[in-house]
Formats: sequence, structure tokens, C-alpha cells
Amino acid sequence: MRRRPFSRLVLALTATAILLPALVLVVWSLAGRWPWPELLPERWSLRTARELFFGSASLPRLLLSSTLLAGGTALLSTAAALLTARAAALYPIPGKGLVRFCGLLPLLIPGTVFAMGIHLTLLRLGLTDTAAGVLLVHVVAAAPYAMAIMEDVTAAVGGGLEEQAAVLGAPPLRAFCSASLPQLLPGILSSMSMAFTISYSQYFSTLIVGGGRVRTLALVLVPYIQGGDRSLASVYAVAFTAWALAVFFLFECLIRRREKGGDGTWN
Amino acid sequence: MIKRLTGLLLALLLLAGLTACGEKGQGTSLDLENASWEEILDAARGTTVTFYGWGGDENRNNWLNSAVADYVKEEYGVTLEVVGMNIEDILAKLSGEKEAGAAAGSIDMIWINGENFYSAKENGLLYGPFTHRLPNMEACVDLEDPETLNDFCMPIEGYEAPYAKAQLVLYRDSAVTPEAPASAQELLDFCRQYPGRVTYPAPPDFTGSAFVRNIIYELCGWEPFQDMEADYDTVAAAIQPALDYLRALNPYLWNRGATFPDSSNAVDAMFADGELALSVSYAPFTVATGIDQGLYTDTTETFVFDGGTIGNTNYMAIAFDAPNKAGAMVVINAILSVPMQLSQYETLRELPVVDGAKLTEEEAAAFDAVDLGRGVLTQEELLSRRLPEMPARLVPVIEEIWLDQVVGQYNS
Repeated sequence: MRRRPFSRLVLALTATAILLPALVLVVWSLAGRWPWPELLPERWSLRTARELFFGSASLPRLLLSSTLLAGGTALLSTAAALLTARAAALYPIPGKGLVRFCGLLPLLIPGTVFAMGIHLTLLRLGLTDTAAGVLLVHVVAAAPYAMAIMEDVTAAVGGGLEEQAAVLGAPPLRAFCSASLPQLLPGILSSMSMAFTISYSQYFSTLIVGGGRVRTLALVLVPYIQGGDRSLASVYAVAFTAWALAVFFLFECLIRRREKGGDGTWN
Repeated sequence: MIKRLTGLLLALLLLAGLTACGEKGQGTSLDLENASWEEILDAARGTTVTFYGWGGDENRNNWLNSAVADYVKEEYGVTLEVVGMNIEDILAKLSGEKEAGAAAGSIDMIWINGENFYSAKENGLLYGPFTHRLPNMEACVDLEDPETLNDFCMPIEGYEAPYAKAQLVLYRDSAVTPEAPASAQELLDFCRQYPGRVTYPAPPDFTGSAFVRNIIYELCGWEPFQDMEADYDTVAAAIQPALDYLRALNPYLWNRGATFPDSSNAVDAMFADGELALSVSYAPFTVATGIDQGLYTDTTETFVFDGGTIGNTNYMAIAFDAPNKAGAMVVINAILSVPMQLSQYETLRELPVVDGAKLTEEEAAAFDAVDLGRGVLTQEELLSRRLPEMPARLVPVIEEIWLDQVVGQYNS
């Protein structure tokens, strides 16, 4: 498809608007002293790189725990959202609207209030300061987004093809996997990446429920932003973004290979 | 089906949580009140201690995770786990645990002082008294020092042990502004000379609040406040000259005193950018660190008022529901030791809490030999100009008055 000059211009402007500030972050993370009105830093420093790679925060551990938590959240919240969406779209259940509304509640209540309330509940259940507790909170936080996406997709796909497969004699699981799943897949993937991002950038809920024992990259990054050390905040922000992009890139590569190599039925 | 799956999932999560909690009950079998120090050391061996405190200073994080963690591991077989968390969040977590009646706490040691110590002690969030059990309190610390006895005039009564000393300092780039105002009056002249290039962090920022109290000391003295009632009108009447002064300062401040930066870090960054001609800090050797990191110019210099500046001590306390109180005592005792205080002084440039009179000649020489870096005042210069803190209960009252009667207001 050939792009028209106008849309190219819009694309270029958007790309600049996103990339330029990101580039400034990279410069800040290597800046020692950068007084106004200099265009470039007066002094450069590798202090932040040393801290990032050799500091006591242990970057690999942070990346691993962030990724595992976010990956777990993506899987669980999307699975829950898919089941809920199918129940809502395909079966006549009374009080459907209420369930849907309750699912959106974490979105409507301010994050801090939500985290404090859930902290008390988890405290009674003995789930505070554990990775399982944090995972649960992240799933609840990501669920509204996952549900919004999955509801639309499930309603659009409908149950027709699956019924057809069932009529032809396929057992329920096979009917779902062969008829509906391939069509739902784009929705599932976008729901998963949304949930991944939500969990990856959670700060307050992780801090309160995890009690500082469950350490993620966001947990280390935010105090430096609040603390005003711009160079350290920048270097962590760059690492934070780069890692998320790397994970998405890897994920997409895997999907592409699977799509090409597999038989396209996903069962 | 869905319900069953969710139920199963929840049950699994619960199980995971319960097993994680079960592992925590360390050192609880010991009768702490009557145990000897040797028994406490034995109970602490092989356990893990969590130390909660502000995590925004990478130098301190690294020092705790390397120097202190290695020392307690080697000497006492204790593993130290440092957790970065703001003190408000720590206290919120503790009061949540108290409210829920949860048996299993997760916080052992806390980095604390001032108003937060006041409210934590009042609300029963701290364990104690415990400091009389620590051998190094007797061996290294001056037990009669007002700062060992009281924290912002709140009697400590053994509920926290000193960690490091802080003192308010001012600094400026001597190449840009040769004058160093030595009093409140000279500071006003300085602001007139460099209009729009001075400001201070808005209270209740820790440093900004201390700066305002220091101005009060300059104009009203410090003695009247030591036993003043925490009543709005009483305090407002007592600090009237300081309020007049601060309003007189406003027209010459950054943004004409209509707004103030929200944190001392913001002020430090504005100073580093050259936007401000002067900055305030509660870390007395911050300039040396800033020069080393390349944030400040080599000609940046620290100074204090001739009339002195406020100093306080920050402390280590133990949570009321700490799972490992014996371990926490061992770590606190270790941080009070001469080698760790010396290491803190060398690495972090924090004023030590050890009593000079209790040091051997060799030890004293080691403290004297520490290279504090450029642009700072010596420990003697600082301590000779050190003023005591106000009672903690007055602090929020003054902050409220400042908000009502200073910010954005001018003398008619």
C-alpha cells in the first residue's frame, strides 16, 4: 500500500514527538552537570551506568521478577477476562450488567485507595509480603482493561462457528480451540500486552502489598524520580522502557515464527 | 466450571501465602526481656533482619548492602535485607498490621526520627525499651547527650538508638556569589542583591521546615520553644518577628515567593542548574558529594549562620511486631560500633554518633584522618554552631502557620 504524503508527515511528527523526549532521557542518564541554557551537558559521567549495572539493586533480579509478575498477570487476567467475556456474550446469565460493572470498579476507584483497601483484606488472608499477593493485586488492577478488550472481541466473534463445529461432532474443547480460538487470538494478544504493561508499571500497590519484599524495577525507579536525582531516574527509566520493548519484540518474533511454522490451528 | 477454577486458584494462592508466612517466625522463642546479650547473639545467628527506610539515596543503599551487610554477616552470622520505603508508608503499613491484629509482621528495623518517632511511639508502633540492652550504647555513645535522651524534645526512653547526625547547612557557588550571608539580616540583603535566585523548599518538606525553624531561631531565639504549648495562637504570637521577616523576603524570592518548590531535591536540582544562587541542605557534607559526582562546580562552598543552625540525629527503632527482634538488636548494636560509624563517616560523610571522649587515641585519629572532600565545613565548625531541635509537636503547627501567613503574602 502506498502512503500519501500527508499521512507520512503525521507519522514523522508523531515519531519525533515520542522519540525526542526519549532521546533527552538517554542524554540525561549520561549527564553529570547540565546547567541552563547549555544545549548539551557541561560534564558527562558514567556514575549512573555504574549504579545500574554494578549497584546493589541487582538489575537481573529486578528484571526477572518484574517480567515474571507481568507475564503471570497477563496470563491470569486474560484467562479470567476470556472466561467472563464468553459467559457474558454467549450465555443468558441474569445480572450480567452488574458483574461487568464490578469488573470495572478497580478502574473507577483511585489507585491509592484501592491499594490500601486491598492491603487490609490481604493482611487478614496472610497474603501480604508475598509474590502471590502482589500477583493477585496486579491481576485485579489489569482485569478491567483485559475485560474491555475481550468483551468486544468475543462479541464480534460470536459462538456461531463453534456451534457449527459442535454440530459436526467436535467435543467442546476441540470446537473452541479449532473454531473460536484462532479468531480470538488477536484480541487475546492485545489483552495480554495491555495487562503486561499495567502490571509492569504498578508502583503503589506493589509497595503496599509486597511490603518492599517483592522488588520490581518500578519499585526502584520511582524513589529516584521522587528523590529528584534526574540522572539516576533517567537511566532507570531508559532501562525500564528498553526492557519492556525487548520483551514485546521477543514475544512478537515468537508469534510470527509460530504462525509460519505451525498449521495455523493452535491446538 | 469457572467458579471452581477460580476457587482452586485462590486456594493455591492462599496456600502459597501461608507457607511463606510460616517461614518467618524466627527468634520468637527467646524470652527477650530476661535474655543475656550472649543469648540474644545466639538467637540472632543465622537469621535475616529487614531494615526499612527511605531508599532514595543510592550511596546509603550501597553502603548498607555492602559494608554493613558484610560486617554483620561476618561478625554475627546475620543476613541484612534493606528495603526502601518512605517513612509514611512504613508507618501506614505498621498501623494497618496493628489494626488487622496480624501476628506476622514483616518489618524488623526502621530508620526514623522527629515527628514520625513521636507519632509511632504515641501509637504503640515501636518495640522497647531496648537500647539499654545494647553493649555499644554504653561503650561508644554519650548517654547524657541531649540528642541521646530526646528526639525533637520527645523523650526517647530506650525506643530508638542513634544512627547518624544531620545539620542544616547553606551553600552557594563562591565564583558566582562571593558573599556568604552569616545571619538572617545578611540573607535578606543577599536576596535583594540576587532577586529571583533564592528560594527554599515548601514545608512540610523536611529541609524547608527546618529552614523556617532556623529563621525563627535567628529572630526569636531557641529557648522559648523548648516547653511551648502546641497551640496555633501561642506559637503564631511567639514567631511573629520571623513571620514578618519571611514575608519581607518574599518579594525577592524565586517566583516572588508566590510558590515554593515542593522538595529539597527540586531546590538542589535548580541550584545545580544555576537557576538559584543558594541552596539549603540537611546533609552537612552534601557539597563534597555533589562536587565528586560532577553535579556542582568545584567552587561551591558550604556555610552556616554565625548564630548557628539546627542539628538533629536520626535513629534506628524496632517495629512492635518485628519477627526478628533479637537480630534487629544485633544489627543496631553493630551500626553503633566504632568501625561502622567510621565507615559511615568515610563513605557517606555523615556526622558520627560516637562520643569522642569514649574513643581510644587510635580511633580518634582515624576519625580525624577522614578526607571529607571539597567545599565543606569541618565537624568541629559544624558542632560548635549546632542548635537543638524544637519539640516535635510544634513542627506541624509552624508548618500550618507558614502556609496561612507566609506563602504568597507581603508586608503592607
